[in-house]
Amino acid sequence: MASIRRVVLVIAAAAVGFIGVLSSHTSAPQLALPTAGQPASQRKQQQKAAATSASPSGSNTPVVLIARSAVGASEQYGYGVLSVAVTVRGNRIEDVRINALQAPEQYSQQLAAQAIPMLRSEVLSAQSGRISGISGASYTSQAYAQSVQSALDKLHV
Amino acid sequence: MTTGVSQSRTIGHAETVMGTVVSFVVHPGALSDAEVHSALARACRTLHDADNTFSTWKPQSPVSRLRRGEATVEELPTEVTTVLGLCERAKAASRGWFDPWAMPGGVDPTGLVKGWAAEQALAELVQPGVPAAMVNAGGDLAVHDRPAPAEPWRVGIRHPWRIDALACVIEADAAVATSGAYERGEHLIDPHTGRPLTKAASATVTGPSLAIADALATALVIAGAEEIAFVTALAGYDAYVIGLDGSELASDGIRFAPLA
Repeated sequence: MASIRRVVLVIAAAAVGFIGVLSSHTSAPQLALPTAGQPASQRKQQQKAAATSASPSGSNTPVVLIARSAVGASEQYGYGVLSVAVTVRGNRIEDVRINALQAPEQYSQQLAAQAIPMLRSEVLSAQSGRISGISGASYTSQAYAQSVQSALDKLHV
Repeated sequence: MTTGVSQSRTIGHAETVMGTVVSFVVHPGALSDAEVHSALARACRTLHDADNTFSTWKPQSPVSRLRRGEATVEELPTEVTTVLGLCERAKAASRGWFDPWAMPGGVDPTGLVKGWAAEQALAELVQPGVPAAMVNAGGDLAVHDRPAPAEPWRVGIRHPWRIDALACVIEADAAVATSGAYERGEHLIDPHTGRPLTKAASATVTGPSLAIADALATALVIAGAEEIAFVTALAGYDAYVIGLDGSELASDGIRFAPLA
């Protein structure tokens, strides 16, 4: 159970991903999130992280795990409401997508469009553990983390 | 980032309290999971206690009663006296740029309480002997020791305009607090005039006490980089300021972490 909770923690602690920072500086923010496939570099990072994080049972036996998904609670994020859909395989988060996003003003939409790919990247690469936390207020990231958390709770991860 | 130093097991927790999310990273060392979870429960209790005591949003909180003149400090929990004492220190240290007594609606220690509460929570983790821990109270962080001898805590500082980016990463060995007027769109008040004022886009203060760092970061984002000396005049405290024009200023003690 301990290693499971760790995943959840890092999501909440690290609002913006370091790896994602490096990868997103050159690309325009996009609100439409890819639902299938990830950049090869990110996938490699995840695999590396997966390889270094202990499984809760301590077993090294490879097992085939089914991907499961759940929609997290709708959370207020200062400008509107967002909720996420999380897909997990075993204890690992495979994908996080925006399920619903209310951002009434154009400025808010721009903010969310910038933040959300970043936050997704952070969730997916959280196990890399390069940054322990982010200093600075962030409502969007809190709402995102809470929705991810509630989705994980539904999945009993 | 060599491999091998950052793979020790951690236990985490996220608590929704004080209008934000407070997250924990604990390196358990020799402690059992049960001991760590027990310490985490006590840490969370201190956060909720602080919220119940100091919230200006809860009409029946002791501080709300104080603000309405329904109670004197002497009649309230001793934590109120402690926190107001810290507020006095921060007010003097910041040369009046942090002043809970100049806020509209009566004394408002909010700018210091979150940092203070996070410190109390961290103390609950340190007390049973965790070797290293971090408390992140909605962007204000208090850390104990370090994850490994050669591995300091690394804290990303949010970029004030690019929500998808970090301004920098710094190494922390005690407290890191960042204030900015971004995202929430809130108006920070100049205590000297009572009028809205923000002369920096973001101000980060590091130092031994998160309560003081929290207050000084709030003061510095109002006062701007030209007032950075009120932070560096305090032993052990440093500041990193991003100006409204994007210029950056850091005092000598800020240790920027390598980015790879």
